[in-house]
Amino acid sequence: MNPKKEKGSVVVQTVSRIMIPFIQLFALYVIFHGSLGPGGGFQGGAVFASSFILYIVVFNIARGEKRVPESANTALSSAGLYIYGGVGLLSMIFSLGAAQYLNYGFIPFTSHFEENRALGIDLIEIGVGMTVMAIMISIFFDLAWDKGKEKEE
Amino acid sequence: MKRFKATALILVILLGGLFIYVAEDIPDFGDPNAPSIKSVKLFDLHSGPSENILNQGGVPGALTSALEKRKFPLPSRAEKVPGEEKQWNLFIPKNEAHYANEEKYYWVVKEGEQLRIYRYAFVVRWFEKGLEETAVPNMVTHGLADYRGYDTLGETVVIFTAGVSVILLLRRRGRL
Repeated sequence: MNPKKEKGSVVVQTVSRIMIPFIQLFALYVIFHGSLGPGGGFQGGAVFASSFILYIVVFNIARGEKRVPESANTALSSAGLYIYGGVGLLSMIFSLGAAQYLNYGFIPFTSHFEENRALGIDLIEIGVGMTVMAIMISIFFDLAWDKGKEKEE
Repeated sequence: MKRFKATALILVILLGGLFIYVAEDIPDFGDPNAPSIKSVKLFDLHSGPSENILNQGGVPGALTSALEKRKFPLPSRAEKVPGEEKQWNLFIPKNEAHYANEEKYYWVVKEGEQLRIYRYAFVVRWFEKGLEETAVPNMVTHGLADYRGYDTLGETVVIFTAGVSVILLLRRRGRL
């Protein structure tokens, strides 16, 4: 069972080659419209991850690993959390002694306190989306592909 | 075997009948007679002359002492509910022990000779102040990411921990 020799159906490959960019665009839309309509970081991240999982299922897993390497997954999953915690720390620094952790209004994006809160919410949604996407892809790789066994054979 | 099938058929009919019997009582959407979640009832008070004091924007002494006895935050002024007769909102003052700003806290309704005292639920403040405070029109998002920011941070940490533990358990590469 060498995954590099497997060949999938031409129909499925062609259709998903066209569909995947649109799925990813929709995922970005869901993340960035979390503050205006339904959606948010968790849902957008899940949709983004599902587009990569579709790529891995349709083409083979070794090609998928080239597109989303393990190192990128590990980096992205912790980077999302760092963005979340970092925005919280920034607001703590800018609140100058009031120690308002995660009170985004103090970060000076604009001159309005309320607008700053809206922008802070957008930023942390991006962080949540990155973490959810990377973790879902990473779990999928670990469950679907035993790399160690393959090298022994 | 045939008898077993007949028993199963009877059981299915019985369970179906039970389901229809129970499902008849379920209303279409929610329970229209359920108490409103906008407020929690605290107690009743004999009205006396307090209606005039409430109409002038003051808080009657009997009400203040009743609240003090039950250790609730004390209101400083009253306001008529817009468009309603014999209903008032009571506000707790700025820099109260637990609230930094002036908050709409109690809802007083006069029914007959009784004053019914309610406390507003947090939902009401969420409805009225959410857009004003965060400039985000989606009520779910500003609750999730702003009012409950710590909670969402914790959820993200849980997902991260799940991913890391799957990596530790499955990505052994021949070790162990």
